[in-house]
Amino acid sequence: MASNNNTRRISEVGLSDSEPSTQHLVYGVLHGISPPSSNFIDQHGSTAYDFGELEEALIPKVLQNDGDRKPLLGIHPPPTLEIFPSWPVRYQPTPRAHSHQSGESTTDSGSAQNTGSQLEPESPVSSSQKSQPNRRSSDPSLHQKQERSDMAPAPSDSTAHHHNQSKTLVDKRGASSSTERVGSKTLDAKTLRRLAQNREAAKKSRLRKKAYVQQLESSKIKLTQLEQDLQRARAQGLFIAGAGGGSNVSSGAAIFDMEHARWIEENQRHMAELRAGLNAHLPDTDLRLILDGCLGHYDEIFRLKGIAAKADVFHVFSGLWLTPAERCFLWMGGFKPSELLKILVPQLEPLTEQQFIGICNLQQSSQQAEEALSQGLEALHQSLADTVVGGGSLGDPPNHHVTNYMAHMAIALARLANLESFVRQADNLRQQTLHQLRRILTVRQAVRCFLAIGEYYSRLRALSSLWASRPRE
Amino acid sequence: MHYQTEAWGAYMAPRTAGTDPLERVERLAAENAVVIFSISSCCMCHAVKRLFCGMGVNPTVYELDEDPRGKEMEKALVRLLGSSQAVPAVFIGGKLIGPMDRVMASHINGSLVPLLKEAGALWL
Repeated sequence: MASNNNTRRISEVGLSDSEPSTQHLVYGVLHGISPPSSNFIDQHGSTAYDFGELEEALIPKVLQNDGDRKPLLGIHPPPTLEIFPSWPVRYQPTPRAHSHQSGESTTDSGSAQNTGSQLEPESPVSSSQKSQPNRRSSDPSLHQKQERSDMAPAPSDSTAHHHNQSKTLVDKRGASSSTERVGSKTLDAKTLRRLAQNREAAKKSRLRKKAYVQQLESSKIKLTQLEQDLQRARAQGLFIAGAGGGSNVSSGAAIFDMEHARWIEENQRHMAELRAGLNAHLPDTDLRLILDGCLGHYDEIFRLKGIAAKADVFHVFSGLWLTPAERCFLWMGGFKPSELLKILVPQLEPLTEQQFIGICNLQQSSQQAEEALSQGLEALHQSLADTVVGGGSLGDPPNHHVTNYMAHMAIALARLANLESFVRQADNLRQQTLHQLRRILTVRQAVRCFLAIGEYYSRLRALSSLWASRPRE
Repeated sequence: MHYQTEAWGAYMAPRTAGTDPLERVERLAAENAVVIFSISSCCMCHAVKRLFCGMGVNPTVYELDEDPRGKEMEKALVRLLGSSQAVPAVFIGGKLIGPMDRVMASHINGSLVPLLKEAGALWL
């Protein structure tokens, strides 16, 4: 591993985080810089290395190879250049005068440099075969693993002398090379410049790779989203031509509309099951199961509404997903619980006295909660209006107080965002009301109750269809 | 407004200096039957205040944006509530009820009124 490390250090300066840690380490070693190695350290929890001496030993190697070395994908890359294992590396065997020398220092020298002849084209780091025969792998991932495993034990040598480190690395490799060569410690200007160039190039390469990987990942996410959208669309027999990320908001609304339509169908199925169960005089235990399924289905639409509200709060808040007749009764993005209760109570009789009190309390508390939310929304209206007006006198032309105007618009945006929390609380209220209703009533009463709810909204939807197709004069 | 906005009168006492914000929150919460931590510009806080007033309860409100140590208390509340929204935060009888959705859920399921009666905030 040593020679591989060396190789990598020299060539793979400033490697991206996705690269094996060794590369960071190498870089850090070479330049006596900790940040890259700290990345590695973070990743692997190893302790810091003292690579000062290591670096010195590397200098001669660097000098040797700099002439041939191209930052990233050199046409004639020295064996050390294997920045990205996945990137094809054309390696031409180049026996070097120094190869033998470096061969000696198995750990630190860029073994790859020296053992060019044995390098395989696609292998990221082909360290000197002499020193690390096991290093050779045409499989980049395997190679990376090797490197990683090689690096892993290394931390134990954190405070090791350069010598020891080399030795350890050598030992790990099972390399046969004996002594490590301690190069001259001269750091002349040329070397420094080359080191800097290496650093620059590797950094660029790292950044490029990062950008590429990020692009790939975002494309992947987009792809899965598109696939999901497509699936939903196909399930509904529609085809939505999704635009890019820009139309996310509108696609969120469209998706919710589809999901709601599917929910309604599913709800009809639950209703049919309830009715069948009631008519078949199923025992309470069975009815309870069906009922729980029905209630769970209501929970599902509230969950979907929550997601849709995050994507497009106005679509949910304004009830654009409802039919016109339903929208008539719109309150904060859905039905008003106390109104629904008023409709239901006559359908639920006969009720015991306790149940009746429970229903009355439920009606009262839902009314109080609705009132509180409505007043909160009123306060939101007021502050929003104030903010919009505060952007500048309404009599002035829009560009009269630009800075002030924009600042107030920014505040107004923040206020608008609060709408989502109101929709969420309103849905929460609806959900809690349905659950409390279930708790107050017996199983049979609850079955009749939910059947009544289903029937009521079904009729409202039918009314909407009739309205849409009514003859106009 | 029917709720006490002069609650800060008690807070201004020097004994509150140097306390850990969470401790302060809890101490303030224990001082009155119904305590609401709020921000004056927050509309949901307005809604929760209206809820209690509508029930005939007189909550003690602390507006964190009007308190020099409000920011710390906000952070403490965020941790306490386990959510990114510090306010509104409701305490009844010194015990944390929670944010708006917990308050509403407990009102709907009928557990809020008994709590209020127990804390002496409601008489029937």
